[in-house]
Amino acid sequence: MTSQAQQAQSKGLADRLRSVNLSRVGDYLFLAPAMVLILAVMVYPLAYELYLSVHDVTIAGSAGQAPFVGLEQYRAVATDPAFAQALWVTVIYTAGSLFFQFTIGLALALFFNQTFPGHGVMRALMLLGWMIPLVVTGNLFRWMLNGQYGVINLLLNLGPLEAGRAWLTDPTTALIGVIVANIWVGIPFNMVLLLAGLQGISLSLYEAAKIDGANAIQRFLYVTLPQLRPVIAIVLLLGFIYTFKVFDLIFVMTGGGPVNATTVLPIYVYDVLFEFFRFGRGAAASILVLVLPIIISLVYLRLLRREESS
Amino acid sequence: MSKQLTRRDFLRVTGGGFAGAALLGAYGCGGGDEQGSQEGGQITLNWWDYWTEGATNEAIKERLARYSENNPNVTIERRNIPFDQLKPTLTRAANAGNFPDIAVIDNPDHASFAQLGVLLDVSNRVDEWDVSSEAYFDGPWRSCQYNGTSYGIPNSSNCLALFYNTDMLQAQGVQPPANWAELRDAAEQLTTQDRFGLAVSAINSEEGTFQWLPFLWQSGADIPNLDGSGGREALQLWVDLVNQGYMSSGILNWRQADVKNEFVNQRAAMMINGPWQIPVINEDHPDLNWDVAVLPEGEESASILGGENMAISAQSQNADAAWDLLTWTQQPDNLVRYLEKVDRLPSRQDLADRPVWAEDPILSVFVEQLLVARPRAYGADYPEISSHIQTAIQAAISGESDVEGALSRAQEEINPLLPERMRQ
Repeated sequence: MTSQAQQAQSKGLADRLRSVNLSRVGDYLFLAPAMVLILAVMVYPLAYELYLSVHDVTIAGSAGQAPFVGLEQYRAVATDPAFAQALWVTVIYTAGSLFFQFTIGLALALFFNQTFPGHGVMRALMLLGWMIPLVVTGNLFRWMLNGQYGVINLLLNLGPLEAGRAWLTDPTTALIGVIVANIWVGIPFNMVLLLAGLQGISLSLYEAAKIDGANAIQRFLYVTLPQLRPVIAIVLLLGFIYTFKVFDLIFVMTGGGPVNATTVLPIYVYDVLFEFFRFGRGAAASILVLVLPIIISLVYLRLLRREESS
Repeated sequence: MSKQLTRRDFLRVTGGGFAGAALLGAYGCGGGDEQGSQEGGQITLNWWDYWTEGATNEAIKERLARYSENNPNVTIERRNIPFDQLKPTLTRAANAGNFPDIAVIDNPDHASFAQLGVLLDVSNRVDEWDVSSEAYFDGPWRSCQYNGTSYGIPNSSNCLALFYNTDMLQAQGVQPPANWAELRDAAEQLTTQDRFGLAVSAINSEEGTFQWLPFLWQSGADIPNLDGSGGREALQLWVDLVNQGYMSSGILNWRQADVKNEFVNQRAAMMINGPWQIPVINEDHPDLNWDVAVLPEGEESASILGGENMAISAQSQNADAAWDLLTWTQQPDNLVRYLEKVDRLPSRQDLADRPVWAEDPILSVFVEQLLVARPRAYGADYPEISSHIQTAIQAAISGESDVEGALSRAQEEINPLLPERMRQ
């Protein structure tokens, strides 16, 4: 194949066209729509974004005439206290969401892995949260967490907790509010993937463990968890990426407020771009927001691979 | 279970669909960039606005159709863009050099576009026009100007006023408050177990700034001296009302539509809102007894100007035809006919005595309020200035910071963003 390619290169265009195997043309034709799509909707915008991020593009200057400013935009973003604050909020938001989504999702997966009447229906119902558009979920939680007539305060008041709290308008609790909503959204996703993983574990392993005298906890720790590990890795990675870039849920619930208490990185970028119309700085910020999860994901995957090979 | 859709089949079908959609999309993109053109006396004008639904959409359609009927050589190609997309879309169009012949612009943004250089300087045309600029209210007219030059004319105006529930005020024997002290008293007396005295929007978006700026101006202060005594009093007023329980802390998350919902559901006895809520309230809650009053005075009386202007592209090939269309819309009969349909206020002072406004108990109050309504004319960086004001309002009301600290922090951020002539 390489010699073929070399030959083709040395010949003229017409010869080359003739020498290309027709079936290969067909292959490329099948690839073409995807390639065109990737070029048009991923490569080009990314390249343009990079271009914008090293120019001072604002509403007062079109992209073609904006002065080149090198890494100035990146410096401006990195030293912006609002960016640091947004990064911190994003870290708490992502960590809090992931931890609870995963543990509750795993618990539910273990539960639904057993057979009991109606478990199929229940499992399907659990998926609803994942299927509802985030804008709807966001509005639902916005009402439920309302200080005056929210159902969550009503429920809390039934118990020993005296609560008349305006969850989303208090800077100390607004972040908790949006995390809770995101956990609710993420649980079904975690549950379904983990359940699929659980069902892939061979029953004979459990039988063998039982014969060896392992109790339920030991079976979970030494059979289930190790067997589930590849699935767990993927679930956490996808959950991380998804949570890191969430925009609509928070935008609907708080718009990033009060006092930037829920301004995660995507909201920060949105403000810079579409509220302040600082396109250059916004581009630099969005590239930073893109690069961070990529780095973290790569490190995570590498660590996993190393662990597996050892 | 015998005939299952395999993954490969699925990919083939959906992949084909997506590829097809992508091709269609690419084709669709190519078609939309034709400029207004002139062919054998036939003129095409591009008109972009943000009225996408209901009465506002119908009224503008009717307006443009009537113009075309009277001017058969003019074809108007209208495009309506959702409000929150209009500014980004116009900005892109300005960058790409296909700004429409006529653009409808939200008035706080007018200066930004004028500064961009995409709007036609119409001062000469205005001078020759048989309608004097004196015919317009000062606020709307100034909102079309940048550095003293006219870059368009107002289309319609609105401003904020105080809505109140007449039943509740009567029951408590409270008069609509005329000044800040009375506002505090009224809010206190009207607050009960299941309702608040007053509702405003203090959300972290332009709507929050829009609602608070009148109070800042009423105190005699302005954005360049935001952290002075006037600004502190204006913010303290809101903070006190929340802390004393006369205003919900939920205002931090309420848009103006949410404020209206609190009011119509009788969870607030008074609210600050604009005339665009009138048809909504009348339609959904015909049984509610309510009225409006001008905003309470501080050191001075003030309200804030909303509404939109019309401007012509600096590159328009058909500027004369576009100007003819704009002036036609301002002819008294055409203008009144249109504004009546959309429940908006006239920007023309000389039409304010028309029965539709003067004899309407609600709209006449808004017209009176319009006399002291000020535009948000703070230059091209206003959106960012506004975001710092929102943060200050939210920080002070939520107790995250005291009034003084919140305002001085905002002032520090705002100063470099203000136009030169405003810096102190």
